[in-house]
Amino acid sequence: MSGHNMAAPGFGQHHDPFADLSKYDDDMDALEFEDGYDGLGDQLDETDDALNDDTFGGDEAFASVPVGKDFDFFGATSKVTNAMEEEHARFTRQQPTFKAPVQHAPSAAPAGYGYASHAYPPQIRPARSGYEKYQEPEPELKVDASIWGTAPKQTATPTAQPAPSAPSARKFMSLEEVEASLRAQATRPMVTQPPQAQVHAQQQFQQQQHFRQEPEIQPPQARQPAQAQTGGPHGHPITILQRPSSKHAAPNAPSPLSQQHQPQPQSQSPSVAPTQILQNPNRASGDSGRVPQQPAHRHQKSLNQQVQAMQPGQVGNLSEQDKAAFLEAEVRRAKRNHKIHMLSRDNGLMTPHDKSFITRIQLQQLVSATGDPSEYGTDAALNEDFYYQVHSSLKAAQRPNPNAPLNNFAQTYLFQTGNRHGGMRRHGRGPENHVQRMEQQVQRAVEAAKNKPKNKQLVIEGSLGKISFSNAKTPKPLLNIKRTESGSEANRPPSSQRPVSINDRKVALRAIEDVYMILMKMEDHERTMPPPGANPTPEVQQQVAEWHAVADKLNNQLWDALKIHEQVGPNQVHPFITFLSHPKGKKAVPRVFRVLSHEQRTTILTLIIVHLDQLDVVQGAQVQSGEPINLSAGTRESIELFSMAVMPQLFNLLADAELQIVTAVLGIIIQRLNIDTIARTRIGISMLTMILSRAEIIKQAGVANEQLWQQWAATFNTFFNHLEPTLSYIFPGTVTSGEDIYVWQFLAAIGIGASPDEQQRLVLAVKDRVMDTVAMAKTLPADMGKQRLDNVNLFMRSIGLDVELLQ
Amino acid sequence: MAEGEEGAAAGSVSEPLDLVRLLLDEVVFVKLRGDRELKGRLHAYDSHMNLVLGDVVETIYVVDEDDEDEEIRTVTKKSEMLFVRGDSVVLVSPHTSS
Repeated sequence: MSGHNMAAPGFGQHHDPFADLSKYDDDMDALEFEDGYDGLGDQLDETDDALNDDTFGGDEAFASVPVGKDFDFFGATSKVTNAMEEEHARFTRQQPTFKAPVQHAPSAAPAGYGYASHAYPPQIRPARSGYEKYQEPEPELKVDASIWGTAPKQTATPTAQPAPSAPSARKFMSLEEVEASLRAQATRPMVTQPPQAQVHAQQQFQQQQHFRQEPEIQPPQARQPAQAQTGGPHGHPITILQRPSSKHAAPNAPSPLSQQHQPQPQSQSPSVAPTQILQNPNRASGDSGRVPQQPAHRHQKSLNQQVQAMQPGQVGNLSEQDKAAFLEAEVRRAKRNHKIHMLSRDNGLMTPHDKSFITRIQLQQLVSATGDPSEYGTDAALNEDFYYQVHSSLKAAQRPNPNAPLNNFAQTYLFQTGNRHGGMRRHGRGPENHVQRMEQQVQRAVEAAKNKPKNKQLVIEGSLGKISFSNAKTPKPLLNIKRTESGSEANRPPSSQRPVSINDRKVALRAIEDVYMILMKMEDHERTMPPPGANPTPEVQQQVAEWHAVADKLNNQLWDALKIHEQVGPNQVHPFITFLSHPKGKKAVPRVFRVLSHEQRTTILTLIIVHLDQLDVVQGAQVQSGEPINLSAGTRESIELFSMAVMPQLFNLLADAELQIVTAVLGIIIQRLNIDTIARTRIGISMLTMILSRAEIIKQAGVANEQLWQQWAATFNTFFNHLEPTLSYIFPGTVTSGEDIYVWQFLAAIGIGASPDEQQRLVLAVKDRVMDTVAMAKTLPADMGKQRLDNVNLFMRSIGLDVELLQ
Repeated sequence: MAEGEEGAAAGSVSEPLDLVRLLLDEVVFVKLRGDRELKGRLHAYDSHMNLVLGDVVETIYVVDEDDEDEEIRTVTKKSEMLFVRGDSVVLVSPHTSS
């Protein structure tokens, strides 16, 4: 009873010490009113007391109702004490019995009671705190049950057992009671001192258990005359062992005062110690059925402390050998207990709820830090790692669910966590709940990460600046140089006022880079194109409209950057031609054509045709017939690149062109260009071949009307007249050079569209080259010779002849 | 058609590396620490001035101190593709064909 610390926090929360007050009304006699009255009441202003009745009610409230015998619980309960004790004994026997060591037989333990208050200071059994479920599985808390010789089973839930009587009984202990208990202790022989602390602790626990089970039968009054009475039920085992005839052999020491006096009896005890030891076996045989209920581990732990506290006084009771053994054992135990204590010091600070909460926070941070791999197509992801994103988007088709990696990750992590908790606990529900909640948390975090606005800065009201967030992906920028369109424009004069330096190489390079930048933006923009839908909602239509607006804006930027419409002086090279003179400018053409409209492409085609003689692949790339080709490597590369990058685009454009456009293009060449210059270059010849063959295709398709044909025929005739003087010089190099296939193709394109008269003139112009080639072909190995002849035949067959005829 | 507008749209020269950007796909002259020079087509660069060059001619200037009169001789190497770590780059300039 006294083992419970009144200051223990747990008890007050679930038990009102005054709840049973009415039971002890008789006990109130012990407290005299005058003893505790400080006279403060006399100082009260009682002038208006007359109104009290109005305020608080009638006089009845204050009338002292005589306390009836109804409240004499002891009188009533003492009658049933025997019955209850029998009940208790039966109950304890019904519990699974354990082969307890001898010393576990209970005995009266006054010292144990006394120590209880020291041993229990931090109450071991807190009020319901939500920990109950989790406490047991915590391995740190576990004290090896074998120390106590008991199996770690617990049949009764401690918290379920109220322990009401102890505090309330002590509350009303009078001074007389205290003195009586002291006297009883002082005079009592210490036969009940157990030889080993374990016994002690065990006993004490058992007695506590008894207390809890039979609280009502312990009215304080019983203790008043003789302490021996108080011990009634809990002292019972002792009486069986030592004084079988008496139940009241074990006096109790319930009050705090008596506990403080505990050393006294101990110091007197040594003389009786041997007897006690000898008595141990008897106890076991005498009370094997009264093996105490198994304590919970936490009780054992605290009991350990109790044991430690008990040592010094106990040792004196033992023989030297036992003392040594005991000391050794106690040292070990003390070490162990200390270690456990240190380890478990902070146990239970966090509930599993707290832990899972922390875990969820960490998970959330993990998710937000590593980012969401499912953010495909967003600018952030692309800016971060363009090539990976493109690569993975190409591979995305193979993977059913782009979210899979993250989910796998999260589930793996959560599964492990859940497993750990679940394995440790008997009741799996709680942990599963946590796992579910964490999964939901992860999903929410992912959603939030997807949806969160890309706010990189936070402007706090009243602050002087912006607070930039930083993380692993986007480090906090130390320098924030903003490129504002207006800013850069304001810093430079309008182009019309600037000195024209269009030929400036750097300007051209810059223009090319501008074009590439815009191209990249446009290609990037393409990825964000809203998906076409059969029934677009207004929202989607809005998106489409916005997308097209941006696309148009970018298109205009590109068009401006290409400087197609730039006006140039007569002696200046058009900027777009300069643009094309750089390899990277040529390489840009296919990409530019892809994003431009048909009209824009046609405009570019026209521009190129108009400035054909200014192209770097034409200008300075003329070849002389009859002389070895002496083009520089750079020029050759340029021609090759132009043929690969630009010509196919123009060819595709011309392939769809109407006859009108073809005629107009040829007309431009005739009017504005030096055909001789053009025709002596590979690109120029290729361009002309392209135009002529398109006209021939249209002619064979037979879709154009007669008027257009007459226009074409007139233009062609003019062209042929211009070309005829050059015809014999358009062949590159010597006959042996073998690079003249494009010329034969060109001649074939002319011949097929030429009138019979023109064909005649054509044959005359190139007859020498044909004859030389045929003659040379005979000197070559068969396959090479045949290739040359085939080239010539391209032309010959276009005018209805064959090289066979010449041989 | 304003040049300024285009520059703003596409990022004009606002930092030194923007000038290097203009040299992309051009033949550049690169001077390196350790008396080395490179001449090649600039394929790529980054903010550390790591460079990727194509068709590179590397010239190493070696001083022979064996003899009394110090003699400088050059060793040239050709590489189809070269990655240059930026910390050795001293300067990058457009190659002007003399």
